[in-house]
Parts: sequence; C-alpha cells; structure tokens
Amino acid sequence: MTQRRENSAGFLWISPWILGLTAFTLLPMAMSLSYAFTDYPLLEAPIYVGWENFSRLATDPKYLHAAGRTLAYGCVVVPASTAVALVLAAMVNASPRWGRLLQAAFFLPTLVPSIAAAMIWIWLYNGKQGLINQSLSLVGMQGPNWLADASWVFPAIVLVSLWTVGHSMVVYQAAMRQVPESLYEAAALDGMGPVRRFFHVTLPMISPSILFNVVTLIIGTLQVFAIPALFSGANEGTDPQAFNFYTNELFNQAFLNGQMGYACAMAWVQLVFVLALTGLTFAASSRLVHYRGS
Amino acid sequence: MTRRAAVASIVAAGAGFAAFGPRGPRAGGSGRVVLDYWEKWTGDEAAAMKQVVDRFNDSQSRIHVRYFITAGIDQKALIAIAGGDPPDIVGLYNYNIPLYAETGAILPLDELGSPEATGLGRYAQGVRPILTHPDRSGALRQFACPNTGGTLALYYNAGAFREAGLDPTRPPRTISELDEFAEKLDRRTTGGEYQRLGFTPTEPGWWPWAWGPYFGGTLTDAAARHATIDSPECLSAFSWIRNAAERLAPSLVSRFGAGWGGSYDSPFNAFIRGEVAMILQGPWLANVINRVNPTLDYGVAPFPIADALAPIAQAGPVGLVEADTICIPRGSKDPEAAMEFIAYTQRQPIVEFLSTKHFKSTVLASASDEFVSEHPNRGVAVHNAIAQSPRGFIASRTRQFPQIRAEMGSLMPAVWNTRQDVRGLIAKTHAAVQRLLDLEASQKARRQSAGGSGAA
Repeated sequence: MTQRRENSAGFLWISPWILGLTAFTLLPMAMSLSYAFTDYPLLEAPIYVGWENFSRLATDPKYLHAAGRTLAYGCVVVPASTAVALVLAAMVNASPRWGRLLQAAFFLPTLVPSIAAAMIWIWLYNGKQGLINQSLSLVGMQGPNWLADASWVFPAIVLVSLWTVGHSMVVYQAAMRQVPESLYEAAALDGMGPVRRFFHVTLPMISPSILFNVVTLIIGTLQVFAIPALFSGANEGTDPQAFNFYTNELFNQAFLNGQMGYACAMAWVQLVFVLALTGLTFAASSRLVHYRGS
Repeated sequence: MTRRAAVASIVAAGAGFAAFGPRGPRAGGSGRVVLDYWEKWTGDEAAAMKQVVDRFNDSQSRIHVRYFITAGIDQKALIAIAGGDPPDIVGLYNYNIPLYAETGAILPLDELGSPEATGLGRYAQGVRPILTHPDRSGALRQFACPNTGGTLALYYNAGAFREAGLDPTRPPRTISELDEFAEKLDRRTTGGEYQRLGFTPTEPGWWPWAWGPYFGGTLTDAAARHATIDSPECLSAFSWIRNAAERLAPSLVSRFGAGWGGSYDSPFNAFIRGEVAMILQGPWLANVINRVNPTLDYGVAPFPIADALAPIAQAGPVGLVEADTICIPRGSKDPEAAMEFIAYTQRQPIVEFLSTKHFKSTVLASASDEFVSEHPNRGVAVHNAIAQSPRGFIASRTRQFPQIRAEMGSLMPAVWNTRQDVRGLIAKTHAAVQRLLDLEASQKARRQSAGGSGAA
C-alpha cells in the first residue's frame, strides 16, 4: 500500500471522529466566539455590538463576584485536593492488608453522579437532622447551619470537592509504585526517615503525576457548576449569590436571562483564563517537575 | 479491514441511523394530528396532568397529545424554540412570559382561541395580567392560558393559637397584629432557646421580593422601566424585617431552624412540626400537610397588611398571585390543534379537577361550590378571594425578573443578618435593579433601531 493510500485509509477510519469534533466542538466554538460580539437573546437574531459584552464584564458586580468566588474556590480546592489525595495514596500504599479496601472506599465517591452526590450531601448538611451535625453533637459540638447560612456555603462546597479526590489518589498510587525501591534504600542508608523520604524521594519522583493532576484540577475547579446549582435549588431561602460560581452565572445568563451573547463572552474569558493559568502552571513547573531519564 | 469494508461499515452505520435514529413527531396510526406537550411537573402533579391529556385524547378523534415530563423546561424550551424544533404546546413559568412574548417565541392566543373558551374575562382578576404582555409592536396580547395557579396567604397553627390564648377564628389582619400575635406565640426554654416561633419572615423565605406590596410598595413601576424599591413603602417593609430580626435574634433563629432548609416537602417542615406558628405559603402546602400530618389543625387567612393600608382593606385582600402557564411556541406544527387542546384544559371541570389534584386554588373568575367544599385545602376560598381581588399582585413583568429576584434574595439576608443601614442596603439593591432595567431598555432600543431583527 502506498503512503498516500495508507493516509487515506487512516483518515477514512477517523473521519467519524473528525466529523463529530467539527460539528459538535469546533463549529460551536467558532459560533460562540462570533456570538460573544453580539446581543443575542437566543430567540431573536444576533445583533453585532463589538466589544460591548467584554466591557460589560468588567463592570458587572455579579459577574465579578462569581469570578472572584470561583477563583477563591480554585485556590482552596487545588492545593487541598492535592494534599488530601497524596496523603490518602501514601496511606493506601503503606497498608498492604487494608489497602484494597481503603482504595475502593476512597475511589467509590468518584463514581457517584453529581446529582446523586448533591442529594446525599444536602441531607448530610441538614443543620438539625444531618449526619454531620448529629455526629458533631455527639462530641458536644454545635454544627453550623451549612447550606442555610450563606457564610457556610463555600466551605460546604469545598468539602464536597474533597470527597471526590479518589481519582487523583489512584493516579498518585500508581506513580508511587513506580518509584524505584533502590532510591528509598539509598535514602535510608543516608539516614532519612519516612517523612524526609516522602518529601525528598517520593514527591520529586511523582512530580509529573502531580503536575497532571494539578492541571486537571485547575481546569475542573474553574468550571465548578453542578453541586452549587443543586445546593441552591434545595435552599431557596439562602442568599443565591452564595451559590453563584462562574459557570452558574454563565448558565443563568445564557438560558435564564436570555443573554446568550454575554454568556458567550463569559465563556471565552473563562477559556482564555484557564489556558493562561494552565500555561503558567507548566512554565512554573519546569524547575519543580522531575522527568525520569531527562 | 480493507478500505471497501471500511466504507461499507460507514454506509451501514448511516443507513442504520437513518432507519432507526431519532425522528420528529408524526401523525398517529389513526391519522390523528400528533402534538407534543412539554410540561414541568413531576410526581402526583404530572400524573394529574397526564389524566387530563388522556381524557382529551379520548374525547375526540382528530388530535393526539403526547405528554412529556420536562425538567428545566424554561431552558429546554428556549433552546428548542431557538433551534426550530419546539414542542407544539409548552408549560412555562409565569415569569418566562415577558422574554418569550417580546421575542415572538410564543404565539398570541387571542387570535387562535374564542373569548368564551379562553378569553381573559374567564379568569380571576389577579391572574389576567400574568397571561398578557405587549408584543413586539407594543400591543397588549394574550400569550398564555393558566395551567393551575395559587396565591400566597397566611397559614396559622390553630392549636398554637388556642394554647397562646388567641382566637383561631380571628387571625391577624394588620402587620401590628401579626407582630403582636407572633410575640404571644413565641415559646422559649428557660435558657432562652426557641421552642416555637410565632412568625419569622425567613421561613420559608421563598419570596424575598414580595414583601413590599403588603406595605403598599412595588419593585418596579407598572411598565417595569424604573425600580421603585427605594420607595417609603418598600423601606417600611424591610425596616419591619429588620425590627423582627432585632426582636428575634437571627443567631437564635438560625440555631432553632437549623433543619428547615430543604425540608419543605418532609415531616421536618417547620410549620407542620409546629415550630413556626404562622407562615406565608401557597395552597400547595396542604398537599404536604395531608401527607405527613393530616391531623394538623390549621387556618388560612390573607396575609396581614400594613396598618396604613387597613382603611382600604374592604377593597379586597392583598396577596401574590402566581400561575403556571400553557403556551404555543413559535414553530408549533398545528397551532389550531394545539389551541383546541388548551381550550379543553380551560373548561371549568378540567380546571377544577387539576387544581384539586394539585391542591391549588382556581384561576377562573368564579369557582363552583363543589370545588370549594371538596377541596383538600381548607383555606381554598381565601386563596380564591386573593386571586379575584383587585389588590392581588404579580411578579414584575420584565424579562429581568429572574435577576431581580436574585438581587432581592441577597437583600433579604443582608437586612436580616447584618446591622448595616437598611436604607443603604435598599439603595444598593435599587441601583442594581435599575441597572438591569436600563440594560433591558437599551437592548430593546437597539433592536428596534435595527429594524426588529425577527426570529432567530
């Protein structure tokens, strides 16, 4: 088979994927970019407004609050999830007897769909009958009024995100198992204890996995949507701003307020911001990430 | 696999999609016109509406309606209409009407229906403004029919009234009386913790934007061009909420009501458990009462009004009027047939059947004696009276309403929980709402100057 025929056959095989990517990703992205420069209430034809939507973003207090809250959420969740997942992975790997059970227990929550998870957490967070406050009361503590008190909504959502670190944990576990035993033996001979071995051997050796997880966490946390949306619906008396994260605001503008053009501008700002942050992370990681053999 | 086999696989997949893939509605086997009806309700409410649909399908042989339970209906309808593949009939929330009507996404019903079957005159006075809206040319048109409705009233625990030495046949009529009754109904432990609250504006707190009218105020002017939240009447309303907070202590209320959030439809409902003696709610509350505590002795009355409004009380009770609506989207394949179905749902026996099943009041100008006497909500007559009152009020008729509601949802906890100046908080919300209304006005003006760009 000639090279040309081989290429044709290859393209033919992946053509359904190319068609799907073009029709359902690239074309909608291009259209959303064009809508970002329009006043488009979805039910009427778009009208070109230039950069108006983008300048409106800079002065919209609700948008700025949502963006700030999302950024704060990312700043808390990315390091916290990374730390928790690392600790759990180390714990599971260090426990040959209970490792499998712990692994299953920590990974299971990642398999629960967001809606089901939100329903479970709404009841866990119930200020009076919820399991969390009931448990706190057993040790003489008065739990907060989680989702009914706007000031506790943010920590409540952060806590839910930590519940689903199982995926990162599995990646770290696999990476930790790849660290050559000889390095630990050499470190032990040098007189390093377990904690120093973790920081000076394990962490550098699994740093590519940490980078991968951090990048995916940054992308994921800046798009948080389902849990705040579902919590908000179940707590109508609470200040709705407390549940309003970037993507929630974007969704409401597009599909509730009929401001599709404005929402598209929000989406593109979000994409550029996420790309920039990801790029920064890669740039900053060049000295911190150790690739074996490099 | 050879290239020939690959091409054959793709062709086979395409043929399979064409043969078995998704397709639009088609005429039923009996040659009937098939209409798709999207409705928001689930559970018992959906089952009741399904019965109405089945009855309609059995009542004639020309049209067959297919009923689809559709969560997030306003968003899905928006996309379906914009995408040119709408349902033939759609059940919308009343606050959706301005956006859909102004953009031509729903058809005016006054040209399709007869005044006897679906004309505005058939409906309760408070319901009529929900059904109409100016079209693109500014002419007021009827865009919807009501598909059950409800009004807000004061629900009170008659047993708690008796226990506190109050007469359960004489509920409070003014805000002063409400405060006085509430104080008598409050019950605390010796340590100062609440055992029962007489009344708190935070439970359930679903209508933070609706306090003003009980004091004579509104959120916006009638045309929804100017915010009026900073009026003296609205200031009185929120000052009253601040006074209630100062009297009750939000931290104590929060501790006492820690389990109320999200517990409406459960035995932990604060009113049903007797933890709050008076509450602002709609007729649907009777559904939960009958299910989880049918022996609860409760009464229903119009929500009290500011003392200054008392002299005009005989004009009729004040109360929020809400109604779910049924509309015909742009692109419905047979609007006449869709209207025939809608007209069927508006017949008095059907309206009363559905309203009874939904535990709601009537949307019609008058109710039959059987409807009132057999209704599972003992206070249905009060709800009907509010719907028929000239002083019933509705949500502001602007497409910005969801955002205005969110702004008011932030104002309420700020007034309740903080010590910040109420006037300042109101001024901030007023400015935010005015910004939204100005944005809407400028967008409308631009669209008009662009010559009405037509449908998407």
